[in-house]
Amino acid sequence: MNIAVLLKQVPDTTAKINVSNGKVDENSVSKWSMSPYDEYALESGLQMKEATGGVLIAIACGPERNKKMLTDAAAVGADTLIHISVDGILDSIQVQNFLAAVIKNNEVDVVLCGKQAADTNAGSTGPGVAEILDAACVTMVSEVSFIENKFISVRPSISGTEKVSTNGLSVFTFDKGVSELRRPNVRGIMMAKKKVIETIKPENLGLEGSDSERVLLKAQNSPPEKEPGQIFEGVGEIPTIISKLRNEANVI
Amino acid sequence: MGYEALDFYEVDSLLSDEERMVRDMVRDWVDEEVIPKIENACREGVFPDEWRVALGEMGVLGAPLKGYECPGLSYTAYGVICRELERGDSGLRSFASVQGSLAMYPIWDFGSEEQKNYYLPKMASGEWIGCFGLTEPDYGSNPGDMITKAEEVGDNYILNGAKMWITNGTIADLAIVWAKLDGVIRGFIVEKNDPGFSAPEMKGKHSLKASVTSELVFQDCKIPKNRILPGVKGLRGPFSCLNNARFGISWGAVGAAQACFHSAKDYAMSRIQFDHPIASYQLVQNKLSWMLREITKAQLLAYHLGQKKDSGDWIPEHISLAKMNNVDIALEIARVARDIHGANGILDEYPVMRHMANLESVKTYEGTHDIHNLILGRYITGIQSFTRGI
Repeated sequence: MNIAVLLKQVPDTTAKINVSNGKVDENSVSKWSMSPYDEYALESGLQMKEATGGVLIAIACGPERNKKMLTDAAAVGADTLIHISVDGILDSIQVQNFLAAVIKNNEVDVVLCGKQAADTNAGSTGPGVAEILDAACVTMVSEVSFIENKFISVRPSISGTEKVSTNGLSVFTFDKGVSELRRPNVRGIMMAKKKVIETIKPENLGLEGSDSERVLLKAQNSPPEKEPGQIFEGVGEIPTIISKLRNEANVI
Repeated sequence: MGYEALDFYEVDSLLSDEERMVRDMVRDWVDEEVIPKIENACREGVFPDEWRVALGEMGVLGAPLKGYECPGLSYTAYGVICRELERGDSGLRSFASVQGSLAMYPIWDFGSEEQKNYYLPKMASGEWIGCFGLTEPDYGSNPGDMITKAEEVGDNYILNGAKMWITNGTIADLAIVWAKLDGVIRGFIVEKNDPGFSAPEMKGKHSLKASVTSELVFQDCKIPKNRILPGVKGLRGPFSCLNNARFGISWGAVGAAQACFHSAKDYAMSRIQFDHPIASYQLVQNKLSWMLREITKAQLLAYHLGQKKDSGDWIPEHISLAKMNNVDIALEIARVARDIHGANGILDEYPVMRHMANLESVKTYEGTHDIHNLILGRYITGIQSFTRGI
């Protein structure tokens, strides 16, 4: 079974984000990491690979720095590493088209990715790729297994959780998974070092027209600064506090 | 706030991709599994067994050793591992130093093929813990005059004597014991269940509290003949091991210093006195910039020594200088960091006093600070000053 895991590299959740001239300054990001929901997709992919004896294909789309993330994926067990080499900002539809084209070229049986990326939070990649591939799509899953030629996934439902069964090519987008994420080890790191990363330029994907920009990012802004807190001292202030909680904060 | 290692000169950019990946793996593990648990481990005076398991699973034990299911990394990578572990705690790094450099290394370098095949895979995986018995109650800096003895009796060796200050002793599955056989220092592998061997724990330490320290006692301890290390005689054996451990310490001390700097900087930026953060005052800035200066120099020493170790172009005196300098500045940085933290610095909410107390041991073990000065003094003058006729 060929298992594709779509990985996005995002600023680490601890990294400081600077905005200058209406744009996030990517050069100032001190640390780039695999998007956390993608990590759960990767873990689930590794488990499926071990259960089925399959091949795990890690695919990332973005600038050169993505290679490090792909090598990190190899250190925990990804077999094939594919880097779609792109500089600059892409719109979601372009990314989906590139990813779908690579998936088609690799005879993939199942696609796993995070439910949304930690930077844009758009949540469009999984469903978008599924649409282009005409594949089944189950979102926000916590686990997926392959049983008797069907994919069985678990996702939240109105009653708690639900199990969904899908046939044929299926795309799953991951929420926080149930399994603990595995750590790399020295053996994995030494194997990963020897892995060749297949680099693909979008123009070689044989797409027509779909790489034109349809969505334009106009401006990015920092979140508004938080207003300073208020400090009250002494028992005499209690009526003021109650009044503020009731009338301004609307919490009591 | 996440840990950002001080690296002013971007020395880590000189590491290979593989070394950086190993660094990140160990750093993440220390963040997630060591930092949240270290204070409790110190209070209880235990080395959490799950750390042994994790170190084995990560595959970092005996890092630079090749073959026999050992990791086969560079010495520089071994240094990086020590640095990241000691950023967590010197006791944790001590565990790894003893396992890799003092217990696995002598088997790897001086052991028979049977010994290597039997012990090294189990030790690399962390299944078996090793310890190293050289120091005795009355022979610390002067191990050559040790009194622990081995005698050949039939198909066995019989060991008698005692070792002290032995990291991992009580929890170890095997000990590399240095003892005199016909007046010549030899290495022996003693297993925990060998008759006549015991390893009582030493209690009451104010330092390295999350590390097990023990005595090793041999009372007619009987071991089979195939447990002698065939490949070495004399002090060269234990000193070869110590060179590697000291190399790791020269990196480890940088990690402890980075942790103290990180905490001191964070504290100084957020602690308000006289209406301003104390980081805005010249006295505090002077302290922080001194720390930055010393850590940067120590990083360059450690890195260059790593390159020399990897190329084979090194002498023991190079290691003495780096061990001595880096532990010395780390201890001083820990003290100054404690000072910046004010009264809060004595609490275990902050790591600085723990590092400070740990580093007092690190300054003393593996060749005291002063002994390393004498090693360098002998190198400079050609005159040894360890001993003289009285």
